[in-house]
Amino acid sequence: MLTPAMVAKASTQTLLRLDEVAVGELDPGKASDYADSILMFNVYDTLVLPVQGGPGYAPHLAESWEADGTDFIFKLRDDVNFQSGNPLTAEDVVFSFERMKELGQGLSFVFDKVESAEAIDEHTVRFNLTEAYSPFEASLVRLPIVDKKLVMENLGEGEGEMKDWGQAYLSGNSAGTGAYKVVSHNPQQETVMEKNRDYFLGVPEEAPDQVRLRYGLEAATVRTLIAQGEHDISSQWLPPEVLKSLAADGAQILTETGGGAFYIKMNTQKPPLDDVNCRLALAKAYDYAAGITMVAVTDDVAQGSPSTGGIPVGMFGAAEEMLQRDLEAAKQHLADCKYSPEDFTLELSWIGEVPIEERFALLMQANFAELGIKSEIRKVPWALFTEQVAKPENTPNISQIFANAVTGDPDTLLYPMYHSSVAGTWQSPEYLKDDKVDELLAKGRTVTDPAEREATYAELNDRLMEIAPTIYGYDRQSLFAASNRVKAPALSDPEKAFGLDGMGFSFRLMEMTGE
Amino acid sequence: MMPPIVRLLAKRLGTSLIVLVGVSMLIFAIARIIPGDPARIALGPNATAEQITMLRERLHLDDSIAVQYGYFVRDLLRGDLGISLYTNRPVTADIAQFLPATLELIVVAGLMMILIGLPLGIISARYRGSWADNLIRLLTLLGVSAPSFVWAVILMLLFAFFLPLFPIAGRITDSYTIEPVTGFLFIDTLLAGNLSAFADAAWHIVLPAFALALSGIGQAARLTRSNMVETYDKPYIEMAQSYGFPEGKIAWRFAFRPSLIPSLTIIGLDFAAMLGNAFLVEAVFAWPGLSRYGVAVILRKDLNAIVGTVLIISAMFLIVNIVVDLLIAFINPRIRYSQRAT
Repeated sequence: MLTPAMVAKASTQTLLRLDEVAVGELDPGKASDYADSILMFNVYDTLVLPVQGGPGYAPHLAESWEADGTDFIFKLRDDVNFQSGNPLTAEDVVFSFERMKELGQGLSFVFDKVESAEAIDEHTVRFNLTEAYSPFEASLVRLPIVDKKLVMENLGEGEGEMKDWGQAYLSGNSAGTGAYKVVSHNPQQETVMEKNRDYFLGVPEEAPDQVRLRYGLEAATVRTLIAQGEHDISSQWLPPEVLKSLAADGAQILTETGGGAFYIKMNTQKPPLDDVNCRLALAKAYDYAAGITMVAVTDDVAQGSPSTGGIPVGMFGAAEEMLQRDLEAAKQHLADCKYSPEDFTLELSWIGEVPIEERFALLMQANFAELGIKSEIRKVPWALFTEQVAKPENTPNISQIFANAVTGDPDTLLYPMYHSSVAGTWQSPEYLKDDKVDELLAKGRTVTDPAEREATYAELNDRLMEIAPTIYGYDRQSLFAASNRVKAPALSDPEKAFGLDGMGFSFRLMEMTGE
Repeated sequence: MMPPIVRLLAKRLGTSLIVLVGVSMLIFAIARIIPGDPARIALGPNATAEQITMLRERLHLDDSIAVQYGYFVRDLLRGDLGISLYTNRPVTADIAQFLPATLELIVVAGLMMILIGLPLGIISARYRGSWADNLIRLLTLLGVSAPSFVWAVILMLLFAFFLPLFPIAGRITDSYTIEPVTGFLFIDTLLAGNLSAFADAAWHIVLPAFALALSGIGQAARLTRSNMVETYDKPYIEMAQSYGFPEGKIAWRFAFRPSLIPSLTIIGLDFAAMLGNAFLVEAVFAWPGLSRYGVAVILRKDLNAIVGTVLIISAMFLIVNIVVDLLIAFINPRIRYSQRAT
């Protein structure tokens, strides 16, 4: 039974309610999608954090670090405790890294270049890389630090000394240092979190006392809940028309750009798009402005911003000038192409689970028809698409993909797309084989000086525009409808944005307005 | 000599077991034949080839379907349905968590079908040709002709959005903390001695259960009406009327009871079918049930969870059918006693 004291306490607590996709993975070693990231960034901490409103990384659990070739040495703060009360040590960092590598799930691949981690002393940890890899710092935003002592006390069934590496325990419990601790977690229903009042950076009073992250709510349900004051922030997956109607009712629209974009990928190994002039003709004929209009929610806000090239705005190497349609240039390139439009029909594929792509396929069909190019639109389920792209001859002429840099560094976005060694995945249906691109991608991984990285990626961007393996549709922008009961500066003020998917939902940086 | 009703029960249980084995083999094979690599889907778009290979090995996906089925039967006999690739938890734990919510929903919907559908059918037949009959036929036609998810959205708009009488989502208001004992909120709230939470749970279930039941209510009412109308034309009704029996007794004993058998069969089938069909209603009302889980695991090609969910739904289907058979045998002595001859 609720006692009067409990009722009084409940009524003074501030509550934030939001929703995400169908399931939330609480185990930080397996976190991969947006809902998992929201959980991870609130329940766990990382050694570094992206700088708000700009490039680079700031100290977080680590107070300083130095790089020496393939070695990175981090000095940890000595005033951090886990939610269990255990103090944070270098052993916890080593354990978290080894656990992630051992599980081999989630985003563990971003640590492929890390050979080992070792604790030098209680608060110093060294990572040894197999080769020089400058995006390593960025990768660390995907290494949540887990309470080793607590996990070892709760190992589940399994073989060897580490048994299940605490998978059973961490799928339902938190073991982090984060600003919020998990009160209850049902991966298909909701996760309830409460403020960790002992957080090492402190949690402001205005931040929500309790957060309920609900999973798998239907658009109609979210629409009704927000209108009735029973929900605070929608997921980014609401259809534009629902966002539009919520905005019309006075909801604020929050935004996040996470280094991602919408890509129209051309198979460079299959006629007619094995000819660069044919590809350039399509890239010039595509109506970029109409594409943005198709994802607009209000006159001012859209689910995308104009693309400037192969690298999204805000990342190293991004260009400044917006891409625009140029039909005359397209005709010129087509005239230089060795294939004549009468002799081929393009296959325009779209992923069945992403309905908006059908509209883009229709837009392309209309745009390319103005050049006299015939095309067929084909719907492909995601599961089938990932199998089709394994061979260039089965890969459609044109595929549509949404992708983002999981660490915020251009390397995690561009290397899996364009390096010749990784062709044939969902990210690389272009089957690009270009020595210059390979060379620049490799260089981007080894140079450490920010200015040099900027120059390297800018050169890469120029090369991509020259050989046009992809039509760069737009830079993706996630939109969330929110009530006026909450303020989220990291999702509304570009100066406070993190540039990393999900990190804008750091609840400790939000404010409940009391409305 | 075994009593006829026990013989009927034994026979039904035997055939049900065979059906369950057949269903398990069929769904096991189908789940593995549909396109898409479950390991790739489970690990997400960023997974590397090595990660996918590791998971495929762990799930025995590179073995033949017969060998995989062998592993499945071995684990099943130990009560282990494997780990869900979707929630990363044991499938048995997921089913134990989600099944009570769906069962609670369809039991209430089933009760609505019986308590609303049958009386409407009786009234309609008893007063056939009247305005009440016409109105009931029109309303029940509406119930049958629109799918339950359409009703779910309409009911939500009418009674939660425009006229906020009922809650929009979930099983209970967030402020209640009820320790799960059985998973059935009606029972757990009573066990906790919290009548206000019980009332809140009942308040939450009204709209989703009604949306789910509307089609069944319509079907039960229309079927009851048509069977009763047919029965009313039988000579023995005319005889009962000529003997001057009260109208109520004629309606209940001579007209309704024989008409109940087909209605009961349909209600039974509807009841079992709701386990699978509840998906969209559960989705609209954010009801954390097994149907929503079932669809989600199919979309993610979560092999263990697909097989586990289908088996549970099939078992429930068979149990409901057995109960309906027994009820019909109880109502109709001809069926009950026919077991002696078989």
